[in-house]
Amino acid sequence: MLILVNFTNFDLDQVFSTGDDSNPLIMLIWILPIILFVFYGQRIQLFVTSRDLKKGIKKLDNFRIESRTALIDYIKDNNLSVHDNTNSSKRDDTVKKIDQFIDYFTIMPVDMDPSGIVQKVHHVVRSREDHTRARIKSISAPDISDIELAKVQTLLEIASSLQMIYKIINHMFLTAKKQNNYPLILPLQMILPFIMEEAKAMKDAISAFEAGQPIGDGIGPMVVGKMMLPHKKEVASFQTVLARTDFEGRELFLLKAQGPLSVVGRPADALEAIIPDNKLDAIIMVDAALKLEGEDSASVAQGFGAAIGGIGTERFKIEAIAVDNNIPIFSIVVKESVKDAITLMTKEIADQADDVREQVYDMIRTNTVQGQLVLVIGVGNTAGVLQ
Amino acid sequence: MIFSKKEKITVAYTVIQCTSCSFQRKRKFAPGDTLFAESGRCDSCSEPTRVEKIFGESFDP
Repeated sequence: MLILVNFTNFDLDQVFSTGDDSNPLIMLIWILPIILFVFYGQRIQLFVTSRDLKKGIKKLDNFRIESRTALIDYIKDNNLSVHDNTNSSKRDDTVKKIDQFIDYFTIMPVDMDPSGIVQKVHHVVRSREDHTRARIKSISAPDISDIELAKVQTLLEIASSLQMIYKIINHMFLTAKKQNNYPLILPLQMILPFIMEEAKAMKDAISAFEAGQPIGDGIGPMVVGKMMLPHKKEVASFQTVLARTDFEGRELFLLKAQGPLSVVGRPADALEAIIPDNKLDAIIMVDAALKLEGEDSASVAQGFGAAIGGIGTERFKIEAIAVDNNIPIFSIVVKESVKDAITLMTKEIADQADDVREQVYDMIRTNTVQGQLVLVIGVGNTAGVLQ
Repeated sequence: MIFSKKEKITVAYTVIQCTSCSFQRKRKFAPGDTLFAESGRCDSCSEPTRVEKIFGESFDP
């Protein structure tokens, strides 16, 4: 039996009672949510956003704990602590000291008067590095090698950074919650994905540093390290080595951090030491650079200016020397994401090393003439890379 | 979970190259492997070999 229904006389007003203002129940259904959102909208948003943020902060907490555990386990498993063979109270003392180191903070100099700020920042950063190294040495076995010392220092820096990130993000979150202040939580919601990406990369970097494997940032030292292989090496500055050679009639100085230590060396100090006795005609810097979204990882680009990261003091010194001595600075960078830069080197990046080396030679041919002196610097962490 | 993204597994490899005949061999990374360090003799010509590359390759679990 076929039933025909006529939909042509369908009345929307009747369904939603919009034409009838007299029904108080329907009015309540419409008005109540409006009132609710007007007065409690921000609190509802705060509640929804808080749930997402809590998940992120929980992850950050786990990263912090994992990095601390990894550091303590690495010291224990490799018998690096001076107290490994003594009683448990001494071992607890080592853990206590490690916890103190993890909580170390750095107060940056006042920048109200910017004059001389670079030297001040440089001094603070160097003092922190030297002090941390000395403190680690004080709790380490006397026969600890430089490689292990550098590894422990790197693991400590990772644990310390993750601790600081967790504390700051948690502080911002709790403050917003305490004040029931939705606008205060918005910047946190915006920056958290970027923070999570960096924190996860740091956590993932631990295994590579423990195993002494090269990381993505090590592409510069990898390129220059191979060029240095057949030549005699000399110490140019702290944890930085130099080799002298020649290439098609040009004198070549090759500089990188001392591998296979997990260090970045002090290329600016080395340049400062080289410059009084040698007239440089060009500086070529090879480094990893952060890729833009959409760019391919491991793509290579050439440019001008000092390619070196960090807090900026090394770059400042190199630029100052280059200006004073009228030396052009060329750079070749390998584009990488944050994760690629601090975790185990990917195949794509490793495969670019030979091509980058060829580009360095090509750059020397193009920008200098026979008889000139060129300094090539492999910038980056040289963990697991010899020279 | 249906929508959870499974993390890829990264395996570290070492590529060893002969300094004479450039013969290459890829194997899993072993503790102590260091880039450009000497690493035994070549299977093909018995000349010294060197660690040429160390890298990670990611796979779906």
